[in-house]
Amino acid sequence: MQDRGRLGMALVAPALAAVLVLFVYPLGYSLVTAFEAKGGGFTLGNFAKAFEFYSVDIGFTLVIIGLSTLLIALASIAIGGYLVLGENPRAVALLRWLYRWPLFIPFVVAAQCMRSFLAKNGLMNNTFVALGLLEVDQTTGFLDWRGIVITFVWKQTPFVALLVAGAMASLDRSTIEAARNLGASRQRILFEILVPQVMPTLVVGLILSFVTMMSVLSVPLMISGESPTMMTVDMAFRINNYGDYGTANALGFISYLLTASCAWVYLRRAVRQ
Amino acid sequence: MNRCLALMALAGLLAATPVAAQKTTLNVVTAGDQNMVDYVKDFLAPRFEKTNPNATVRAVGTGPGDAGSQKIAEKLQAQKNNAAWDVDVAVIHQKMAGDLVREGLLAPYVRDVSTGRLVTSEASKNALGTNVTGYVIPMFQSQTAIAWNPALVKAPPKSYDELAAWAKANPRKFGHNGIKGGMSGVAFIVGWVYAYGPNPDKLMKGPYDSTTKASWDAAFSKLKEFNRNVVITPGNAGTLDMLNRGEIAMGPVWVDMFYTWMADGKLPPNMRLQLIGPGMPGQPMYYVIPAKAANMAAAKKFVEMATSPQVQAEGIVKKFNWYPGIDAQHVKAQLDDKTWNKLFVDVTPKDLAAKGKVFPIKQYFDDILEGYERKVLN
Repeated sequence: MQDRGRLGMALVAPALAAVLVLFVYPLGYSLVTAFEAKGGGFTLGNFAKAFEFYSVDIGFTLVIIGLSTLLIALASIAIGGYLVLGENPRAVALLRWLYRWPLFIPFVVAAQCMRSFLAKNGLMNNTFVALGLLEVDQTTGFLDWRGIVITFVWKQTPFVALLVAGAMASLDRSTIEAARNLGASRQRILFEILVPQVMPTLVVGLILSFVTMMSVLSVPLMISGESPTMMTVDMAFRINNYGDYGTANALGFISYLLTASCAWVYLRRAVRQ
Repeated sequence: MNRCLALMALAGLLAATPVAAQKTTLNVVTAGDQNMVDYVKDFLAPRFEKTNPNATVRAVGTGPGDAGSQKIAEKLQAQKNNAAWDVDVAVIHQKMAGDLVREGLLAPYVRDVSTGRLVTSEASKNALGTNVTGYVIPMFQSQTAIAWNPALVKAPPKSYDELAAWAKANPRKFGHNGIKGGMSGVAFIVGWVYAYGPNPDKLMKGPYDSTTKASWDAAFSKLKEFNRNVVITPGNAGTLDMLNRGEIAMGPVWVDMFYTWMADGKLPPNMRLQLIGPGMPGQPMYYVIPAKAANMAAAKKFVEMATSPQVQAEGIVKKFNWYPGIDAQHVKAQLDDKTWNKLFVDVTPKDLAAKGKVFPIKQYFDDILEGYERKVLN
C-alpha cells in the first residue's frame, strides 16, 4: 500500500513541480513584490502610484472589456440561435463553416490586420467610399478604444458561440417544436426558450473571454498606444522604461482582483452543477 | 519575473553550443530591433569570418528599446564574479552605457583599436551625463525629425512654435505616438520640453536636481492643449503608416526608418523631412566589450572591422541609412556623392550640428516621461 502511495507521488511529482515552479512561484513572487518598497520592506506606495497614474486606464480597461463582453454575448446568441432555428439550410451551413475562423487566428495577427483595416484611409473605409456609401471626408479612423473593442469582439465571439451553439443544439427539441406549434416567433423562442436553458454555458464562456481579454497586450499596443489605454500597456511601460517592477506588479495585483471576482462567479456555478 | 525568464533563455541560448577545440565562437549580443541582429548576422559576421577563418560569430538579439539594453546589463551583472563572461561584444543604447561604465563592467578597449582614432564626436565621450571616453565607439548615430507630405503641406514648420500653430489651424493632421509606443514619440516630447522648459542644457548635461521637474508644468499644460488637436498613432511604424495613407500630413520619425521605408516602397518618394528648432534628440548605439569577455582579442578585432570606414560606408550609411558612428569625413571618401547626399538632402550637416540634440541625462529623462504621464495623460 505504502509503495503504491509512493509510486503515485512519483508519478504526480513532475506535473506538480511544473505547476509550482512555473505558476505558483511567479504568481506569489509578483504578489509579494507589489507590496515591496525599492530598498525592501513593506509599502503601499506602489498601489498609490498605480492609482495616481493609471486610475483612468483601470476604469477604461473595465469599460472596454465590459462592453466587449456584452457585444460578444449578443453576437454569440445570434449565431447560436440562427444555427439552431435557421430555416435556410444553405445559410446555416455557410454560417457554421464561417463563424469559427477567427478562433484560429492569434490576437497579435488579428491586431495587425485590424490596424490597417480600421484606419481612416484603411481597407474598410476605402471599400465604403468605393461603393459610394461614404464620401472621403466623412470617414473616421477606429484606431482608438473602439478599434480594441471591435478586435476583441471579432476574435472572442467564435469561442463563446462555439460553446453556446453546442449547448443549444443538445437541448431537447420538443420544447422548441411545442413553442412553434403554438405560434411563437423565432425571436421569442430564442430569448424565452433557448437562452434561459443555455445560460450556464453562456456565462462560463463569457467569463473565460473576460479573463483572456484582460491579459492581452498586443491588441491595445498595436491599435491604440495611449490616452487612455489598457492596464497591460501600462505594466509593460513601467518595466521597459523605468525598470519599475513594483508599480507594474501592483497593477497586476489589481487585475488579479478583477479577474478573481469573475473566477469566483465561475467556481460557484461549477460547484452548484 | 520576465527579467529572470529572459536571462535564463539568454543563458540557455549561449550555453547551448559547445565551443569547438581551436575554433573561437564570438558572441555578439545586440539590443534593438530585428534589423540590428540581421546586420550582425548577415553583414558583419560573413566579413569577419572571411578574414578570421578560425572564428564563428554568433549573433543574439535581446529585443527592442531600452529593455533590450537592460537585459544585457542584467546578464553582465549576474556573471560579475565569474572568471570569464560569455558576451564578447555588445551593442547597447546610450541610456545603459553610463551605468555599465560606472559599475566597472566594460573594458576600456578603444585605445587598443586602430579605428578609435577616427571618432571624436560628443556621443563617443558623453553618454547622457556620464563620461564614457575610451569605453565605447558609436556604431551609428540616429536622429529624429518631422516627416511631412508636400501634397498636403505647403511650407513645413521650422520650429516647435510654428508647428503648434500649424497643428491648431489643421486639426488632426499632425500625429505622434506618445511615449508608450516607441522612441520617435518620446523624442518629440523631449524636444517639446527642451523648447518650452527653462534651461535645456542642464537637462542634457546635468547635474541632476530633483526640483527641476516642477518648472515644466507650463510646458506640459501647453502640450496637453496641443494633443487635443493631434492624432495619437500606434507606434513608430504607426506614424509612418498613417503618413503613407495620407491620414496625417506630418509626424515625428526616425530618419533611418523613414529612408528605409521609402526605399522599400512603403512611403511615397516625395515625402520630406524637417528638423525643427530649437532641436530634436537623436541617439547613438555603442559597440562595447565587457571587462572580462572570454575572447577579448577577437572581440577587439571584430569592433575594429565594424567601425572601419569601409564597413561604416557600406553597411551603416548605404544599407541602413544611419548616420555614421565614426567621424563623417572618413566615411565620405568611401561613398559616391549620390548616396552621401541622399542622407543629407533635407537634414543638412549644418542643421544636424545646430538642432541635433542628445537625450537628457537618465534621471531627467525618467522625470520627463513620468511628468508626461502625470500632467498630460491624466
